[in-house]
Parts: sequence; structure tokens; C-alpha cells
Amino acid sequence: MNRKEAIELITRKIGNEPIISSNGYISRDLFYVNDKTTNFYMIGSMGLASSIGLGIAIKNPKKRIFVFDGDGSILMNLGSLTTIGTIKPKNLIHLVFDNGSHESTGGQPTCTNSISIAKIAEATNIKVFQVENESQFEKILVKIKKLLGPIMIVVKIKNSKETGGRVTLKPIRIKERFMQSI
Amino acid sequence: MKPNTQKKIFDYLIKNKIQNFIGVPDSTIKYFIDQGFKKNKILITTREDEAIGIAVGMSLSKSHSLVFMQNAGLANSISTITSLVQLYQIPLIFLIGWRGYLQTDAPEHVKIGEIQSSILKLIGLKSKIVKDDNWKSCCKWALKQISNGSSCCLVIRRLF
Repeated sequence: MNRKEAIELITRKIGNEPIISSNGYISRDLFYVNDKTTNFYMIGSMGLASSIGLGIAIKNPKKRIFVFDGDGSILMNLGSLTTIGTIKPKNLIHLVFDNGSHESTGGQPTCTNSISIAKIAEATNIKVFQVENESQFEKILVKIKKLLGPIMIVVKIKNSKETGGRVTLKPIRIKERFMQSI
Repeated sequence: MKPNTQKKIFDYLIKNKIQNFIGVPDSTIKYFIDQGFKKNKILITTREDEAIGIAVGMSLSKSHSLVFMQNAGLANSISTITSLVQLYQIPLIFLIGWRGYLQTDAPEHVKIGEIQSSILKLIGLKSKIVKDDNWKSCCKWALKQISNGSSCCLVIRRLF
């Protein structure tokens, strides 16, 4: 499973629920695969998708809030996991698409090749699942419907040359339509 | 600044619809933060940019926030301010403790204390220095800024 396939799979399952997507290829692929007003494409501020998602989750307790993160970006903001694990938002679902690399900057390696993000998140009282193929991913997405968060799903993905183009919406437009729809 | 002024600033802002107070503590603004804890309204984060991220999420949910930090945190947060807060035009109030305002502050604060005003100007974050005798007009100014959709910064000097 590559990132685009993983994003196609999950967006089919979660419909119109809000997504905060990290910068780089994750936002590009989400924009290409399933653009909708409830997507907040975070095109700058690398590392902060989970924090923005936490703020939205606290203020919208009746909605499930999805964060689409990468391994490189969550490694930049590991402190966020301790804050999420302390506040324990029941409605926050944090996806980490983990390819062990900074793919959009040339494929440089990240530490997830030797250190498990899942184990780090478990230590912060987050419910963590790790999946390596489509069928595991589908099963977990069904299972978490009955679970209270915070939840993390680490999705192991392969690098791929298949990526979407840049997000062509202006940032102000991304914000306005997200605020109107949430 | 007098402890009681810091308490009054907190009480005034919360009465005027600032709902979230998020940040990394600074002793310069200790009494402001203490008052927030009494009202169970403070969220302490691991880093200043994390606080800004959470505040942006709350702002996207139409709930206004103040982010507090010392000026070392401002330096840590420049990219987050330019590529998130300003890029998406998110209205936030920053409250910053001006370490290094006095040359007698600890050595790690001296340089950032010297360049803080220039940094704020350079990134285009409007600011006011809050004192015991102008705190209310500064708060009103900040509330007006965010009601117009702009971010702004209130600075409290460390005078001890």
C-alpha cells in the first residue's frame, strides 16, 4: 500500500468527517484524491497537524476529528502526544502514514526505521493500532467506530512516485470553507 | 507589573470572550497564569509552536484564544507565525514576557531581549507594551485587532 492508496481507502470510509492534513505529499494526495470543504490542508508549519487537530477536537466534542500526519512531521512534535494523552479527547483519531522517510524532500530517512512511533504513543496513553496492508486497515477502521479516543493508527506505507499536485486553493479559502462546514 | 494588574488583565480578557489561554509559562507573567489556573482555564503545552497550533484549531472552531510565552518562545515560533497564523489569517492574541529588558537579566535572555522589538516589526506582528497604567486600553486594542481578524501581541516587560 502506498500513501495515495491508503488515503483513498480511508477517505472512502470516513465520508465527510473533518480531516487536518499535514504538509507535503499528504495534503497533496488528499487534495487530489478527495477534496472536500471539511479538509484543512496545513501547507506550512510542519509538525503541527496533530496540535491543530487537538484544538478542533476539544471544541467539537461530538464530531470525530481525523489528523493525517507523516512520520517525519510527528517526530517534529512528539510533545503533542503527551498533551493529547493528558487531555484525552475521545473524538481525536490520529493517522500516521509512516514510510520511514522525508519523501517530499528527496527520501531522506527518519528514525522510525529503528524506533516505533506506536510504542511512543502507547506510552502516552493513546490507543494505538498499526497496520501494514489494506485488509488490516479496513478492519481497524471498523473497529475504532466503537472505541473512545484518543486513537492513533500507524499506517506503514511504501514510497511511491505517484503523488498529487500542489494544493491549488488559497490558504484563506481553505480556512473559510473549513470554518463554514465544521 | 503589579500582580493585581496581571489578574485584572486575565479577568478582563475572559469577560470579553477570550475563551482559551494556552502556552508555555514565563515568570514575568506568573500572576496572569495563576489567575487562569484559579479559573481552570489554562492549558500548558510542551512548546510554544504546539500552543499556537492548538489555538489555531480552536480559532477554526470559532473560539478565541490567547497564547502566552516568554520571548525565547517567540523566537521558536517565527515560522509557525508566518506559515500558519499569518498565512491563513488566524486572529490570535499573543502575550509575551519581555526577558532581557533589563541588562541585569540572566545572560541567555540578553540578546533576545535586545532584538525582540525588531523581530516583531520584521514579521509584521503589531504589538503594545502593557503597563500598570494602560492595561485596559491595551486589552481593548487587542480585542479590536482580533475582532478585525488580525493577530496581535501584548508585551509585558520583566522589571525584576
